[in-house]
Amino acid sequence: MSWLSRAAARLCWLGRGTARLCWLGRAAARLVPAERREWAEAVWAEAHQVPPGWPRLAWRAGGVWMIATQRRTGTLLLFAAAAGVAAWSAWPGPSIGGAAVERADVIATVLLLAGLPVMARQFFGSPDNRMARWLRAGCYAALLAFMPAKAVLELFIGAVPRGGHDLHTFDLFEGHGVPGTVSGGLGVPGEVMILLLTSCYVAAGLALTARRAQVAPATLAVGAGAGLALGAVMYAVAPLGFNVKFPNRPWLHGSAMVPFEVLAWVLLFCAPLAAGLVAGLRSSRSVPLERVSVTRARQGAAAGLVCSGVGALFVTVAGTGTTALLVKSAWVRGLLYHGQHLTASAIYGRELFASQDVPIYALTCVIFPIIGLVMGVCWVGYTNVPGPQPDGGRGGPGGPGGPPGPEPTPDPPDGGRDLEVPELVGAGVGHLT
Amino acid sequence: MKSRREFSPQTLSVLAALCEQPSRWQHGYALAAATSLKSGTLYPILIRLADRGLVEACWQEEPQPGRPRRHLYRLTADGLASATEALNAPARRQPAGRAARDMRQPNGRGVAAPAAQ
Repeated sequence: MSWLSRAAARLCWLGRGTARLCWLGRAAARLVPAERREWAEAVWAEAHQVPPGWPRLAWRAGGVWMIATQRRTGTLLLFAAAAGVAAWSAWPGPSIGGAAVERADVIATVLLLAGLPVMARQFFGSPDNRMARWLRAGCYAALLAFMPAKAVLELFIGAVPRGGHDLHTFDLFEGHGVPGTVSGGLGVPGEVMILLLTSCYVAAGLALTARRAQVAPATLAVGAGAGLALGAVMYAVAPLGFNVKFPNRPWLHGSAMVPFEVLAWVLLFCAPLAAGLVAGLRSSRSVPLERVSVTRARQGAAAGLVCSGVGALFVTVAGTGTTALLVKSAWVRGLLYHGQHLTASAIYGRELFASQDVPIYALTCVIFPIIGLVMGVCWVGYTNVPGPQPDGGRGGPGGPGGPPGPEPTPDPPDGGRDLEVPELVGAGVGHLT
Repeated sequence: MKSRREFSPQTLSVLAALCEQPSRWQHGYALAAATSLKSGTLYPILIRLADRGLVEACWQEEPQPGRPRRHLYRLTADGLASATEALNAPARRQPAGRAARDMRQPNGRGVAAPAAQ
């Protein structure tokens, strides 16, 4: 009878699995957009016709898969999974000083990332093109990746060595700390500042990619491309925080750094300018003449802002992540300082310098977008200076200079009203016949 | 003319199953059984076909006692025309052999597309 009990247990397990999947599916069906909910309900209703056991379980699993692959539901589930992993990685342990502030920061960040899109949808509408969705996804991925990297660095800076040379180094750069204690976090002011900065970036990103912002997909693409180039060069210059005093630059030394630094300065100002110029000229091709200035200014500003914002976010997340990996991974340390025979305390010193320098990235996150916004629109005034016009530069009837244009058309006898279609047809037919 | 390239082999198998009795409403499980498709594949296909106006869907009016109402499907006039054209169109060269066999015999019973009405 053991096979019977095994079979019964298996069926019972299957029943429990089916019930769980049933509950999961019903819960997931609520995430489906209203116009698609009927289909999710259809799969669930049809499950009652499927033989119980594996076939019904498979049927419902297919239903869950169908729900998950719907765009909005899939996005929600993907965000929930990624946010869960990021929060789990950044969650501080109970033995860490200031853990409550850290936990509040993690919860607030996740709530911010989840809540702002809902508000943005109410005010600005959803994104209506693929580029906008990709940009949003990239921005969210960067911010979620930033969470654990920031937590690692805060924990590292807050960990006071127990003694020896490391304690001396720590005291030198961080001030006196109680040996052996661990505290995490920047404290309330620091966390609030980073939270504010994050919310500004998320809000700006959501607004720029929303339907009502009327930012063209090409503008977003140009801005993002230029921003990635800017961010990559900035990252090459300062992969471990911005610091010119200490030799913690891993791959560019001495004169090799100069061209990159020059390029970084040039790109900081010229990349948003070029992005704004290209985006403005592209988008103004198909708009009426009276709207050209507004369109150019809007698209130029958006491109400049996207460019510098993407650049700042890229260098901040990549730099913070690299520094966190430097602290956590011996392999990355070996890669960054390949060929350099460093003692353990020297490595600790470099890690500490780098971790200290990382907060300066926040400054780039504030300054870059301002530069981007200004550079993105500053060319608009120049290109809007009226040049020679085809009509001799009169700038319209009655303008100065140039040969006179054609006589204005006299007002029609009917007072300018539009001809009705039958009248038009009748007139045309009468004229022809 | 509709070609097979417009539809995936799985979609063609759904169309073929719906073409069997175009005027009759069919439910999802029967279609899944006829096409050997899983629910996670079948329903997205039905959604796409409904979005394109090729399939119409409705809820069963008189459900079986103790069972929820079922969702029913059939081809629209456009859907029937498109399906007939696509199923009668020459098959693709590469996966054609297998796909065509699958289309003609989605359930192993040798379903053929009906003549256009």
